[in-house]
Amino acid sequence: MIEMQDVWKEYGNGVAALSGISVQIKQGNFVFVVGPSGAGKSTFIKLMYREERPTKGHIFVGGFNIEKLRERQIPIMRRHIGAVFQDYKLLPKLTVAENIAFALEVIEASRRMINRRVAEVLELVGLSDKGKMFPRELSGGEQQRIGVARALVNKPSVIIADEPTGNLDPENSWAILKLFERVNDQGTTIVMATHNRELVNACKKRVIAIENGQIVRDQERGEYGYED
Amino acid sequence: MKIRTMGRHTREGFKNLFRNGWMTFASVSAVSVTLLILGIAIILSLNIQNLSVNVENQLQINAYVADSVPTHSLPVLEQSLQALPGVRSVKFVSKERALQTMRKQLQQNADLLNGLGNPLPNEFVVQAIDPNQTVSVAHEVKATPGIQSVQYGQDFINKFLAVITAVRDAAIIFIIVLLVMGIFLISNTIKVTIFTRRREIEIMKLVGATDGFIRGPFFVEGTLMGVLGALIPGFILNELYRWLVNSVTPFPPFSFLSTSFVIDRTLTILILCGVFMGIWGSLVSVRRFLRV
Repeated sequence: MIEMQDVWKEYGNGVAALSGISVQIKQGNFVFVVGPSGAGKSTFIKLMYREERPTKGHIFVGGFNIEKLRERQIPIMRRHIGAVFQDYKLLPKLTVAENIAFALEVIEASRRMINRRVAEVLELVGLSDKGKMFPRELSGGEQQRIGVARALVNKPSVIIADEPTGNLDPENSWAILKLFERVNDQGTTIVMATHNRELVNACKKRVIAIENGQIVRDQERGEYGYED
Repeated sequence: MKIRTMGRHTREGFKNLFRNGWMTFASVSAVSVTLLILGIAIILSLNIQNLSVNVENQLQINAYVADSVPTHSLPVLEQSLQALPGVRSVKFVSKERALQTMRKQLQQNADLLNGLGNPLPNEFVVQAIDPNQTVSVAHEVKATPGIQSVQYGQDFINKFLAVITAVRDAAIIFIIVLLVMGIFLISNTIKVTIFTRRREIEIMKLVGATDGFIRGPFFVEGTLMGVLGALIPGFILNELYRWLVNSVTPFPPFSFLSTSFVIDRTLTILILCGVFMGIWGSLVSVRRFLRV
């Protein structure tokens, strides 16, 4: 499903964010990516949907060879991945329903299909009554649930989330995690970078720990393992 | 691209005009101001063009026929004048007709002519094909046997043609400078307005939108802003010009072109320029933020 082979990433200023990462994530896995700030978690995540390019190495995500991807294929690849961000990345001038619909409009889905799917995912995240509101009218937790709804609306085979609970209180963080567990139960792969120790320790999922750009730990039913 | 996607882009383009109200206002204002000035320049140059045509049409050579030429050979003389190179038209004015015209011009003083008989000669009014050739045509006319003398305002002709040419050249340079300045102004305005939307563009790309998909609504939006930016000065110019035509009575050779003629042409040019500026500005600016 997701495979990295000896992946290196150096930024223009010579800082090595990742040094020789190799990892395999199978379809249906639920993986936490943990590690101190600046360890390379975000880079690890960004490489997977081609927001960054690897300096060296191979990355495969859902049948796409990321480093060989042509410019025009990037959007196609991203439609197979649901991305969830710490800052939600909702379009401020679109309503909640329009934000979710956007992910379907880019694949030129029919209006009927869009309306149906938007209603489905809104119900899934428990915000059916908020479709006509604008993101700024929602709480942070609600906005992130919309972010998840948008990621799910295309029925992606993998969800990649970069600190999705970073701005949320514990209650809302749990709500997001429960959502992820539900879609994971239906076979969707989840890769989630996080600083949230409680979530990681409570879930007993696979944990990949990154420090100084390298994987220092990769265990099934792992623990968070840091003191911060 | 599917039709429903085009429909979607059109809808979004319209919505964006309102969602980004202030930016729309700023961009449309920039386009309007530029096109207003361009429109004034166009109306001026159309009327200058008209004036020069008027004047050139009035540049005529009065060729006076010698009294010795008998009436029956006048048609022959007319033909030989018509045959001269560079002659557009020849019109015969009989001495009787000339006297009538003079009486009219003198009005109450027409009595002065009484008892003089008819001192006026027969006359041919000759026009050159090319107004700039009036002088040389006049020389040929004068050399034709049977023509006693010719009159044409050569000083006036030369000076007037020089002025017209200079005004025309100046107008062209003025318009070019304005257009360059306008395009600069507009592209800056649109750059600023789109800069604030770079985050939106970034999000769209992360959700899997192609560059073309993102550009679609911007294209529609740019077109609409261009049209709006042309219609506003078009309306202002229409009212101003109509007011001018109605309230100022020009004296010959000055005359105003009709409002509909001037505004039809000006508006067409303004809309074309506006749409071009709008689309170009939007697409150039959006391109900078598509690299995500």
